[in-house]
Amino acid sequence: MRLPRLLVAAGLISLCGFGATPALAVGVAAGTSIDNTAQVTYTVGSVSATATSNTTSVTVAEILDVVVTLQTPSVPVIAGSTQQEMLYRVTNTGNGPETFHLQMTSTLGGDEFDPVAASPSIYFDTDGSGDLSPGDAPYVAGSNDPVLNADAFVTVLLVNDIPAAVVDGNRGFSRLLADARTGTGAPGTTFAGQGAGGTDAVVGTTGADSDATGQYLVAGVAVNAVKSQTVADQFGGTRPVPGARINYTIIVSATGTGSASASVFSDNIPANTTYVPGTLRLNSAVLSDAADADAGDFSTLPNARVRVQLGTLTQASGSQTIQFAVTIN
Amino acid sequence: MINQTLKFVVAVALFAAGFATQASAESQGCIAVKTTAEVEKDVVNDKGQKTKVLVPAGKVIPGTEVVWTVTANNACSQPSQNVTINNPVPEHMTLVPNSAIGPGSTVTYSMDGKTFAAADRLTVQENGVSRQARAEELKYIRWELKGSLQPGASAFGRFRAVLN
Repeated sequence: MRLPRLLVAAGLISLCGFGATPALAVGVAAGTSIDNTAQVTYTVGSVSATATSNTTSVTVAEILDVVVTLQTPSVPVIAGSTQQEMLYRVTNTGNGPETFHLQMTSTLGGDEFDPVAASPSIYFDTDGSGDLSPGDAPYVAGSNDPVLNADAFVTVLLVNDIPAAVVDGNRGFSRLLADARTGTGAPGTTFAGQGAGGTDAVVGTTGADSDATGQYLVAGVAVNAVKSQTVADQFGGTRPVPGARINYTIIVSATGTGSASASVFSDNIPANTTYVPGTLRLNSAVLSDAADADAGDFSTLPNARVRVQLGTLTQASGSQTIQFAVTIN
Repeated sequence: MINQTLKFVVAVALFAAGFATQASAESQGCIAVKTTAEVEKDVVNDKGQKTKVLVPAGKVIPGTEVVWTVTANNACSQPSQNVTINNPVPEHMTLVPNSAIGPGSTVTYSMDGKTFAAADRLTVQENGVSRQARAEELKYIRWELKGSLQPGASAFGRFRAVLN
C-alpha cells in the first residue's frame, strides 16, 4: 500500500512546483472574481446521479498601499549650492492601479538648517539617470500625478537649494510624502465602489500613504598649505647669498568633513633661483623630476615649477609633507 | 377469475414501470447543492460580549479568510446513499490547514483531483525526499457522508481558505 502512494506522489512533482511558484508580492489583482462550484454525487437505490451547485463568487477588493523609500542615504553639499537632489522611490504595494499625490516638505525639525525648495522641487527621474538632468519632467500636482500598477514604482527627485549660512557638519532634512488619491486613513477604511473596475478600495497596512526623509550634509573641506624654508650657504652659514641653497618644506592638510578630490600641489620656482634636480620629495619619498608614474615632476615650461599630485584629500588623510630645494643665482 | 388475474398482473406491471420512471426522474433532482462564501466579522452581542458572526463575503482583500460552505439537501422522498461532496479550493486561494469539516462525513484532500486521502497521508517528492503535502498544495476537498441522507435532510461541508 505504501509503494503505490509514493509513485502517485512522485507523479505530482511538476504540478506542485507550478503551484508554489506564483507567490505574488501584492496579492491577487483587484477586480479578480473568485468562483466556487461544488458537485455532489449520490445514489438512490441503484441509480447514481450528480448535482452541481450554483457558482458563488467573491470579488477581490483593491488594497490601497504605498511605500516611499529613500535611495540616497546622505547627500553631501556645500554652503550656498543650488539644485541639490535626493532620490526616492514610490512603490504601489497594493493590488490594483492607483494614482498618487506627491508632496515635499523641507521645514522639518531635528536638523540644523532647512533646505530651500527649488522651483519646481519635485521631478520624475524620467531618464533613469539617478540625478537631475534636462530630460527629467517636473511633477505638477493634479496634472501628472503618477499612476502606478500593482507592484510598479516611479523614481522621484526632490530638489532643494542650500542656504549660504550653513557650516560644515550641518544637516538639513527633506521629506517626500506620497498618498493614494482614492483616499487614505486607518487600515481597513473602505471606499465603496472606488477600487479598480468598480470594486471596493480598502486602505491597507500602510494607511495608503508613506513618507521617507533624506538629509543634506554640509561637507566642506579646506586645504591648507604651510610653507617654511631653511637656508644653507656654501660657507657653512645660513646667509642667503648667491650659491646658497634654500630647502623648502610645505605641509598640506585638509580640514572638514568633505573630501578634496584630485588635489594638486603646484609651486613656482622663485625668481633668481634654480631648482636643484632630484630634491623633490613627498612624505620623505624621492620623486623623480620627470613627468612619469610617480606623483611628482619638475618642468620649466611655461615657467619653472614643481608639481605633486596628492589625489583625494580628507581630514583623515593627515598632513602631506612636500620638500624641494633651490639655489640662489 | 382468469380475467381478474390478468388485470392484476397488468396493474402490477404498470405500477412497476411507473415506479421505475419516477425513481429515475427523482434521483436526477434529488439533491440540491448550494455554496456560500462568508467572512467572519467581530460584533458585540446584546450582552455586550465580543463575538464573531459570519456575514456574506462580497468583496474581499488579499489575506482575508473566506468560509466556504456547501450544503446538499435531499429533496426526494427516498434516502440517498453514497453522498459525496466535491469542492476544489477556489483559484487564487490557499486552504487553511485542517479547516475542512463536515458532520457525519469523512473528509479527504487531493492535490490532483484524483488521489484523495487524509491531509497527513498525502506526500510530495522534493529533491528525492518525501514530505507531507503543504496546505497550499491541497487543491481539492471531498466529503463522504458515512450514512444515507434522509428525505428532507441536509449534509454540509465547510472549509476556510485565504485569498492570496
